[in-house]
Amino acid sequence: MAEIEKTEIYGTGYLDKRRLIPRFRGPLPAIVNFIFLAIIFYATWWIFQDPRGLMRMYTPYVGYMYTRWLLVTIIWVAYIFSFWPFRQDWLERTHPVIKGIILTAFTSVILIVLIKGFFHGLLGNYSIAYFSPEQLEKIGITSFYALEYSSLAILMFAAIASWLGPAWVAAAEEAPWQKMPQPVKGITIWITTFFLSVIIYFVTMHPHMGILYYPWQEFTSIAPPWWESFANTVSGNFSIGWIMCCTVVVWVYETIWERYPFSLIRNSILRRFSAFFGIIAISLALAAFLYFAQELVWGEAIRGTRREFSPDWRWLHVGELAIFWLLPVLWLKFYHGNWPNRFSTPVNVVLRTLITIVAAAGFYWTYYKTAHLFLGVQKGFSHPQQFPMIPIIWFICIMLINHWFMDNWPGWKMKERGVDATEQAIEKARSEISWSPTLLIGLVAGVVAGIVLYFCLIYALPTLGEWLTIYPK
Amino acid sequence: MNKKEKGASRRDFIRGTATGVGVGALASAGVFSYSPWRKSMFPEVIRNQVDIGVCKSVKVTNISETSWFSNSDLIGDIKKAGGLLVNQYSFNWPPFCDGGDLAKGSYESSMAKIKEFLPDRLDEAWEFIEANAVHPENAGGFSCLVEVEDLDGTIHKILFDTGWSYKWMDECFKREGIDKMLANGEIEALFITHEHFDHFWGLPVTLKYAPDIPIIIPDTFYNEGKQYIKDCGHTGTVTEVGSGVNKIMPGVASLKFDIPIICRVFGEQDMFFNVKDKGLVSVTGCCHQGIIKFVETAYKEIKYENDNLFGLYGGLHISPFEDWDPKYDDLVISLGKYDFDRIGCNHCTGIVTAKKFIETGYPVVKGTARFRSQDTAYLGNGDTIEFKS
Repeated sequence: MAEIEKTEIYGTGYLDKRRLIPRFRGPLPAIVNFIFLAIIFYATWWIFQDPRGLMRMYTPYVGYMYTRWLLVTIIWVAYIFSFWPFRQDWLERTHPVIKGIILTAFTSVILIVLIKGFFHGLLGNYSIAYFSPEQLEKIGITSFYALEYSSLAILMFAAIASWLGPAWVAAAEEAPWQKMPQPVKGITIWITTFFLSVIIYFVTMHPHMGILYYPWQEFTSIAPPWWESFANTVSGNFSIGWIMCCTVVVWVYETIWERYPFSLIRNSILRRFSAFFGIIAISLALAAFLYFAQELVWGEAIRGTRREFSPDWRWLHVGELAIFWLLPVLWLKFYHGNWPNRFSTPVNVVLRTLITIVAAAGFYWTYYKTAHLFLGVQKGFSHPQQFPMIPIIWFICIMLINHWFMDNWPGWKMKERGVDATEQAIEKARSEISWSPTLLIGLVAGVVAGIVLYFCLIYALPTLGEWLTIYPK
Repeated sequence: MNKKEKGASRRDFIRGTATGVGVGALASAGVFSYSPWRKSMFPEVIRNQVDIGVCKSVKVTNISETSWFSNSDLIGDIKKAGGLLVNQYSFNWPPFCDGGDLAKGSYESSMAKIKEFLPDRLDEAWEFIEANAVHPENAGGFSCLVEVEDLDGTIHKILFDTGWSYKWMDECFKREGIDKMLANGEIEALFITHEHFDHFWGLPVTLKYAPDIPIIIPDTFYNEGKQYIKDCGHTGTVTEVGSGVNKIMPGVASLKFDIPIICRVFGEQDMFFNVKDKGLVSVTGCCHQGIIKFVETAYKEIKYENDNLFGLYGGLHISPFEDWDPKYDDLVISLGKYDFDRIGCNHCTGIVTAKKFIETGYPVVKGTARFRSQDTAYLGNGDTIEFKS
């Protein structure tokens, strides 16, 4: 008991136990927050990212790097470190706007120190030159591309960290350090996930950087990269594709799936391993499907072509498609109380999944129809100035700041502490699912229905693609 | 089974089914989506080949491939102006300059300053431009002379793009004798691949010698581009080419691609030549659509000798600013399967790309690196390449 109190000096359990009460009835809180977030998004987009705005960081890789790392550092502050060094009573009593400003400023300082100090300063100057734009310029790379290349390397690292950080909390349940107090727990998980990110970076991204320079850096990286024959490209976009799916599936698992179905496994070690590697398996299946879906709608990729038909862009677009799904997933969880909740967990999970997929498809269509009109991006699917991941992740960062740092202000207010929502959801699922012959029959029938659903979908996709044409041929 | 048990049983079935649907769909997606079996769902490639006739030979003389002389200045200007989407006519680059700052100009304000000099008093126009433009010294241009020989030996000459800088292009035209060919009416048409500054803005230099030359442009030109043709004093016909195969003369056709290009340009057209007994030759300006896409389209839409890809010439737009991305290696690697017999590349291909082509063993025709062309890997300024039966 004493240990629990000690851990709760900071924000441990704060996000799970806080109760957010809507200030208004009906859909008004969500509408108010949407307007609020949209204003913040567009103002900050204009200041930091827009090619016509003030800082014009959408080059695109410089802006992309800061966006990806902003996401990771927000996750570190709220999820890994449980708001340490900020105390629980400060989190509960401070006005959401003040809290949002202070925590965002705190996150931004970490972000700057990480990029300027760790990547540019330390790694770039004393280890691997491609992390530092100054070092690249010294050896003859044009200033613009020196900054772009180093930003690309740094953002690729962030893609991995944004998957492993939350996966260690949601899937591995912070084990084996879950009972440690902050900041010991945070530092330990941070070091572990950072270390794993380094290994995965070297396996999945470093070979891309190794052939980015002429001649291929054969003594320092595997050239051509190991995935060439499988992925039909030497580009690291192949890795970006499936790793982005991992990032998205972690949050799907944590939010609208409420850790179902792995939460049914009562053996902790088995559950954590199953969840961690299950997320990877689901992500790989999702990546394969999203690649195939593009082939069905646009035609088979042709290696060596540019833009929509090149395999490397198709893999990148796998990640982009996944990100289009993440936004409605988080929106449903943050601003609609993970609706619907009235059915059993598996039914709720299926319904939420369908709702968010339909919403993602609508969002995708709307984005490509309109983004070039107000974001300063290029019209079309594939272009150096068309990276939908940047505005979407930028918006997600603002959503996370609003939900985690500001308790959903202005549409909601934090009332008092309640029960742990994650634990409650897991208990509900376990109480609903008990082994029985009927469950088994349902499971088998469901598997068959799932297979039929998949094949119906892939047979319908070419027609659906024609029907939902965004840019006429 | 009582009512309560029936209800429990029904709920178990639904919960099992809901879970199973997810498992079944994800498992199918994982097993089938990237398997070789999926290819059974792709439609067969249908070749709808247009017969464009044949020619005896094609010769290309590179008048200028050096569109700009400093990557750093060009990229720096684009970045400072606000990125790749900024309208090229607003940059205050030559000749569209009004003395204002970078990206603060417009077609109208610039043309008002130089219109009186076009197309005959280009020295005076350039004097104004040098004093008022952003980086006038960086402007070069892309242009080449295409000579097509009919089966009966008749030679047809087409000017393929017209460069950028008035001063530089006039020097290049004189160096290669283009000025006299234009003045004598030997050149039958000016073919503009796309609206980009380095391919199109040198138009008055051509019109100075042949104001009535027929001009062929893609139908995606903006109003500024069409007005520029008029303001330069053009008196001949202008043909706007739409999508599909456009036959120009026996053995010669063009194809237009609707693609977005940097600096707010849209659409590019390039040329094909069907050389008797040899096969297809492709001549491109920048090939923003990508050379593989260009060739794959030709494979589907044009009938050519022996089904053979004979030659390739022009800017291939792979690493125009000597930047690199592993996806360009995909092109270098996969170009081999198309088995071209002769390749001449320059301009926006990228010297690194040309060197990689040579290292890979492709039949690249090297140049002489004269007249400010930088490397022999490029078929440079003043160099020629011939494709003949």
